Amino acid sequence: MSDEELAKDLGLFAALTIGVGTMIGAGIFVLPGQAAAAAGPAVALSFVVGGVISLFTALSASELGTAMPKAGGSYYYVNHALGPLFGSIAGWGNWMGLAFASAFYTLGFGEYLATFLPIPALVLGPINLSTYLPIQALTLGPIGLTSYQLGALLAGTAFIAVNYVGAKETGGVQIVIVTLLVGILTLFSVLGILQADISTIQPFFPAETGGVGAVLPATGLVFVSFLGFAKITTVAEELKNPGRNLPIAVVGSVVVVTIMYAVIMVVMMGVVNWRQLGPEFTTTPVLDVAEIAFGTLGFAAVGVALLTFAGLLATASSANASILASSRINFAMGRDKLVTAKLNAVHPTFATPYRSIAVTGGLILLFIVVGDVKTLAKAGSVLHLIVYGLLNVALIVMRKADPDEYRPEFEVPLYPIVPILGAVTSFGLIAFMRPIEIVLSLVFVAGGIVWYLAYARNEADKEGILSQYILSNPDEMPGAAVTAATHVQPDGGAYRVMVPLANPKHEKDLISLACAVARQRGGVVDAVHVVTVPDQTSLEHAADHLDEHDEDYRAVLDAARTDAETFGVDIETHTVVSHRSFEEIFDTARTHQADLVVMGWGESSHGSPGRAESAFDDLTMDLPCDFLVLKDRGFDPEDILVPTAGGPDSDLSAEVAKLLNAEFDSTITLLHVADTRAEGTAFLEEWAERHGLDDAERRVETGDVESVIERVADDYSMVILGATEQGLLSRLVRGSLVLDVVEDVDCSVLLAERARKRGLVERLLGDRK
Amino acid sequence: MTSDPDRSNEDLLRHLLVPVATVEDARATARALAPYRLQRVTVLHVVEKGEGVPDKTPVEQSESIAREAFDAFREFIPEAEEKVAYRRDVVGAILRVAEEVDASAIGFRPRQNGRFLRFLTGDKSLRLVTSADRPVLAFPGESDE
Repeated sequence: MSDEELAKDLGLFAALTIGVGTMIGAGIFVLPGQAAAAAGPAVALSFVVGGVISLFTALSASELGTAMPKAGGSYYYVNHALGPLFGSIAGWGNWMGLAFASAFYTLGFGEYLATFLPIPALVLGPINLSTYLPIQALTLGPIGLTSYQLGALLAGTAFIAVNYVGAKETGGVQIVIVTLLVGILTLFSVLGILQADISTIQPFFPAETGGVGAVLPATGLVFVSFLGFAKITTVAEELKNPGRNLPIAVVGSVVVVTIMYAVIMVVMMGVVNWRQLGPEFTTTPVLDVAEIAFGTLGFAAVGVALLTFAGLLATASSANASILASSRINFAMGRDKLVTAKLNAVHPTFATPYRSIAVTGGLILLFIVVGDVKTLAKAGSVLHLIVYGLLNVALIVMRKADPDEYRPEFEVPLYPIVPILGAVTSFGLIAFMRPIEIVLSLVFVAGGIVWYLAYARNEADKEGILSQYILSNPDEMPGAAVTAATHVQPDGGAYRVMVPLANPKHEKDLISLACAVARQRGGVVDAVHVVTVPDQTSLEHAADHLDEHDEDYRAVLDAARTDAETFGVDIETHTVVSHRSFEEIFDTARTHQADLVVMGWGESSHGSPGRAESAFDDLTMDLPCDFLVLKDRGFDPEDILVPTAGGPDSDLSAEVAKLLNAEFDSTITLLHVADTRAEGTAFLEEWAERHGLDDAERRVETGDVESVIERVADDYSMVILGATEQGLLSRLVRGSLVLDVVEDVDCSVLLAERARKRGLVERLLGDRK
Repeated sequence: MTSDPDRSNEDLLRHLLVPVATVEDARATARALAPYRLQRVTVLHVVEKGEGVPDKTPVEQSESIAREAFDAFREFIPEAEEKVAYRRDVVGAILRVAEEVDASAIGFRPRQNGRFLRFLTGDKSLRLVTSADRPVLAFPGESDE
């Protein structure tokens, strides 16, 4: 089996239990009271409507999930298709929506806990938080820490802790939980039907709730019951045979729970009149109905106990799944640089994304304190509805743009009707919420936009399929769309070329080289003057008395500024005082977020080489960005020789050669030293083509690599050499390695070393030593 | 371990299997191992799977952790062969791979976790040592941080 297959260990049944297990908690165990009060018996219809809306989106999510089985699910599709602006909205919406929903599930858990555990709400007294916090307007009404809120806080803390330490139930337990839930509810329904009386559910559309008109607003309330199917897509990469299992699990779980919800609602309101199920009579209407339904058999207590157990199980598994799903959303957002990757650091012992879980957990506890069941349910629903709406739009964009890699194994039936209906109904349902909830959702959307513009735009480098499509077909698109797409492009921060300067003699050449690259890349130059002071001198003292250590420190930067102006490139200048100049360059490149460092190397061009210190070991492992080191013998890019043997560092030399060619109209010659001429010719042809250097001249030589390069280099004005191994540059510059070829040629040599791809973990954990 | 085969010609370090977890762990383990003369080394990372429930971390993240750990390890021992296993039972996976690659011994660096952490995560070091069907070497561990 390939590794990829080994990583996939969730079968169809496991996927179904994620969907059904997450959804089944809310609708039946927490909400029926509020739902009954909102629409009377007709609330069964509200559940059906909610199910149908979910079904459209479930179909769209299935197609997107089979085409892109990536961690993050809904958020990922939106970000991928519509770009990071909408990605920010969807990411934050999905994350906060899950936090609200988790708080809601946990509060429901607290209600069930409070029915049999005497939680000492009295000990703390009814604390009315709204007297201390200005949250009255948001939560609509005074709140105190009721016993079930306290229970919820305890339970919430436990759920978060379980996820934090990564204690995982086995797949078998998960299946048992869901099977038990479905079993108990089926028994409950059957016994309920025996006790139900048709007359109790009449009138089906009671006038006092607003008749038929109450159905859709009630759908808005109960929609939180359906926030589970999309969670299957957040773990799509772990599914076996996702092409088949994902659609069945996603669509199947929606169908299963919709039927169960509708039947159970009708049954409950057939047993107990809907007016008696409302929140003013009971917090756990399911238990009241169970008492009657099981009571006829003489098992009233057993029934209540069973349903209490089921209620706890259901709300706990929903909360648990939501916390996990939110960490997946965080991961995906971090991958797209919409949030800092630090959030997704993995705990060294627990191997969990502990920070993400802690942050989400904190939010959940906060929401439990400030929110009531109804507010939390609606807040969770509204945010998910926004995400679902965008998800349907994302599907239409993917189909329209039809990129090569978009090959879903499952396709939405009746395209484009289904996704259009999905988008319209998802956004449309928001209109049936109360104005305060709509405003709240708009605040979140605005928050997502502000987040993108203020933070993520500078970080994100991934462009959406939509803007690629619009920008690549500008003629067919309305002008406004092209303008808009151009304006919201992520810039990933401007391309920064950092030039550490020490020796004024090389300033001009280094700045010329840096400006050439910056201008071709549309970037900026960051000239950093490195002042090296002896170890005995404190850096603070040196910084205050710069002129003592380096008399013309201003002159170098002034000259750099003047030279950059002739290129028309923006330049920033900084002065750095350091004991160890080369380490300082690494650190500065990192803190200045440089994409490329252009530095000189030679007699004291950057201080004192050859100081081998143990701290260097770590540096060689981790080049913070691309490096170009110029062995300066006069900067003359007219005839450039690029010796190559392949590899990532030679990719960089190819890029630099192309940039210099574009800037100075240099001629480029590629050189490959091979064992046989035929072999070398073939290699070079392929290499040149792959790097877009077909026009360059090609030279194939045989013999000793170094002596060939030395001999050939005589005909050229500059040699660009890719580092042949990791950490080569820093060892060269430190003097621990001598490359004869660099010393023996007569022209300038530019050594190129690619940034060592700093892996996720290093970026996450920062640079710990 | 049915009958004792003749091991008189067997070199204990003929093929060492070295399980590593994070980048830091891999680096420290490799550093501890690097000074010795080695014949053949396979570095192993076990991706902890949920097996029926979603994993703690996305597969993509788990695999990138494995890659990072291998890179860190190979900075010290470049010739090490790499192996990724996917299993819920980490210790079981190590033993299984040891058998698959015919390792002569398993070498690892016990991590210094407190009693409470060990209780929460299960003492994998102890389980590895007690349940292994081949020699297990523990490298002296400088502490993680």
